[in-house]
Amino acid sequence: MLRSIKPKGWKIALYLCIPVIWYVFSVFVPLITAVFYSFFEWKGGPKKTFIGLDNYISLIKDGTFWQSFGHNIYLVIACIIGQVGIAFIFVLIVNSRLVKLKGIHRTFGFFPSTISAVCIGFIWTMIYDYKRGILNWFLTATGHGDSVQVWLNNPKLVMFLVAIPLVWQFIGYYMVILLSAISSVDTEIFEVAELDGANAFQRAIYIVLPLIKNTLLVCITLCVAGNMKAFDHIFTMTEGGPGTSSMVMAMYGYKISFAQMNMGYGSAISVGIFIVSLVVIGGSQKLVNLLMQGKGVE
Amino acid sequence: MKKKLVSMLLASAMVASMLTGCGGGSDDAGSTPAAETETPAADAETPAAEEEAPAADAETEAPAADGLAYTGDLNLMHYSTSEESEGNGGSDGFRTMIAEWKEANPNINLVENVLANDEYKTQIATLAAADDLPDVFLLQGMNTKAWAEQGLVMDLTDIIAQSPYAADYQEAYYTPFKTADGKVYGLPALTGGTCTVVVYDKQMWKDAGFDSFPATWDEVLTAKDYFSGEGIDTIAFGNSGKWQANSCFMSTIGTMFTGKEWFQSIIDKGGAAFTDDDQVAALKFAQDAFNSGVFNADFNAVSNEDAREYYIAGDAAAFIGGNWDVSYIMATLLEADEEKYNNIGFATFPSIEGAKMSNVQNIGMGYGMAINAKLADDPDKLAAAIDLIYKLTGPDFSNFVASNYALGGLTAVDNVDLSAFDQITQDFYNWSYVDTEPCEIYDSYVSSAVWDVYNTGLQDLLNGDTDAETVAADAQASYEANY
Repeated sequence: MLRSIKPKGWKIALYLCIPVIWYVFSVFVPLITAVFYSFFEWKGGPKKTFIGLDNYISLIKDGTFWQSFGHNIYLVIACIIGQVGIAFIFVLIVNSRLVKLKGIHRTFGFFPSTISAVCIGFIWTMIYDYKRGILNWFLTATGHGDSVQVWLNNPKLVMFLVAIPLVWQFIGYYMVILLSAISSVDTEIFEVAELDGANAFQRAIYIVLPLIKNTLLVCITLCVAGNMKAFDHIFTMTEGGPGTSSMVMAMYGYKISFAQMNMGYGSAISVGIFIVSLVVIGGSQKLVNLLMQGKGVE
Repeated sequence: MKKKLVSMLLASAMVASMLTGCGGGSDDAGSTPAAETETPAADAETPAAEEEAPAADAETEAPAADGLAYTGDLNLMHYSTSEESEGNGGSDGFRTMIAEWKEANPNINLVENVLANDEYKTQIATLAAADDLPDVFLLQGMNTKAWAEQGLVMDLTDIIAQSPYAADYQEAYYTPFKTADGKVYGLPALTGGTCTVVVYDKQMWKDAGFDSFPATWDEVLTAKDYFSGEGIDTIAFGNSGKWQANSCFMSTIGTMFTGKEWFQSIIDKGGAAFTDDDQVAALKFAQDAFNSGVFNADFNAVSNEDAREYYIAGDAAAFIGGNWDVSYIMATLLEADEEKYNNIGFATFPSIEGAKMSNVQNIGMGYGMAINAKLADDPDKLAAAIDLIYKLTGPDFSNFVASNYALGGLTAVDNVDLSAFDQITQDFYNWSYVDTEPCEIYDSYVSSAVWDVYNTGLQDLLNGDTDAETVAADAQASYEANY
């Protein structure tokens, strides 16, 4: 029966080739051309000079690039803890029997993820604003007037401050993914565990966590990949400033390519971002697997 | 049932987020297709225009004054959007000239691609990188040398010399578009305007004990004590975009310290360096000035658009910005608070101890009309493009902006009748073109790579996170590598 309705192999290939061609065109072609351009000194325009690996040598020595890389890693860690971690806790809370109006919590928790990054950036810029921002207003109102400051101009704090909107925006996104993972687990397991006397904390660590391990891995990968290409929030809020205190890799590549018109070196930076992102994503997956093994499952 | 509803809601929210995600990413790109969609519509008209053309040709072959033989598309890219043209004299004049030219040349289908200035800069840079520039466009001074070297823009030296208006052109405006060998690649466009003007409220300064804006920086420091006692900032400034501290501050302050020769030598690669003592002294002064408490504390976190609102709201007694800020402040106050409008005063940056010059302001025309070098292969099309740039920068334009906005263009206008304007507009005209010593705008020259490094360092410097020597050394390194 199944065989009679199953399409022929060439038909599948034909249908598949549309997205595959699209994907190749929008991902592989730019990637390969970027690799090609990265071997040239190219300031835009028709003239290019082949300089071999010079761009990569300057990239390795480029302090700003590695500073930006550090900021990306900071964001990755902050967002894994903030987004996935808090989302996990929220999921447990929303799933518990004590919480009423679960639907509303889920829906509104997801709302920030639907707002465009530029709007989020502007909203939080207003919150941090020195003269009219709600944060400084709150500090003054509660008698902490001496801690009022120009928040986004503090190089020591600025990465933390730009990470907050990112975390805030995507908690709901991971919440939805984790909720669907938990709802696919048989509820009897939780009931049995409760009958056996496991407390909420034990249930979370020894039952829920291992059962949704694969989904969690997907979440972490998404989170790492998303933060390695972080750009829009920070661009709206600080443009990488003050100085380069909140510069991230993608923005640095953009600045070199379009503000400084150094397309060759900009391409080398893009390739650099691609390589370090692969390493970080691969590494994080290995790390999660290792941690999970410690819990004695799979 | 309830579950179903929730899942539907979540699903739709997810779809919405995916859509917004896509929308966010393609915003920039989105404007291009939108702008380009004008083309097919215009294209549809072209055949009609072409049909008319032979008839018109037959009739008026000889007497046609311009005699533009070209029929078909001519691409023009610029940033005078219709929003921008409301209140901005340069944009309004530019758009008016385009409309007049279109009317005079019905056989040519002028395809306009109009973007806001920020997007324009990115888009034109991308098109230049892809060797796909439009036929006629606005060239930013600092890109001149790089693009000329790449063979992207046409040498206009002879074309400018042959212009019917050549005698009226004010050649001082050419410099940003000149290369070392004296060739000119852009015909300066829009209006000449200052980038560093002190706008102050005469009444507020009178209350502080000053009849006009102080002539020396030390007096400003004295005034600061009074103003901070009142809970207002002495001068508002916004540098979140990083270019403001360069265009609207250092460009003038630097020249006050180094004199004009230094920057000319930087342009000509005549041996001057960013690490020269005078430039470093200027950077140090800038750092001290921004640490002195004269400026609003959040100067590095707000843009010039925010800072000028501090002035308008009366939270700051003065504001430093460019002519574009002045036109905004004037338009807003005229509508909202006539008394404050009449109290507007204009001043140059006060004299500084140890500086070589005073009463200086940086003025110029940052963009020039340029022609794609590829048009050399099509003489008829080139003739049309040349006719267009003559029109856009010619006496028609200058007269329009002079009589409607009291602004100056490339062509000199004799006897501008200022009497039709109110006192404030007259004051600003005289301040801009008559009473002050002009100097160059740093980032109209050299290379975007150098200024990006300089501006980033400058933001750190004004914050107190680095020192003047480091900023100067970084800028010098970028100057040597990129220019």
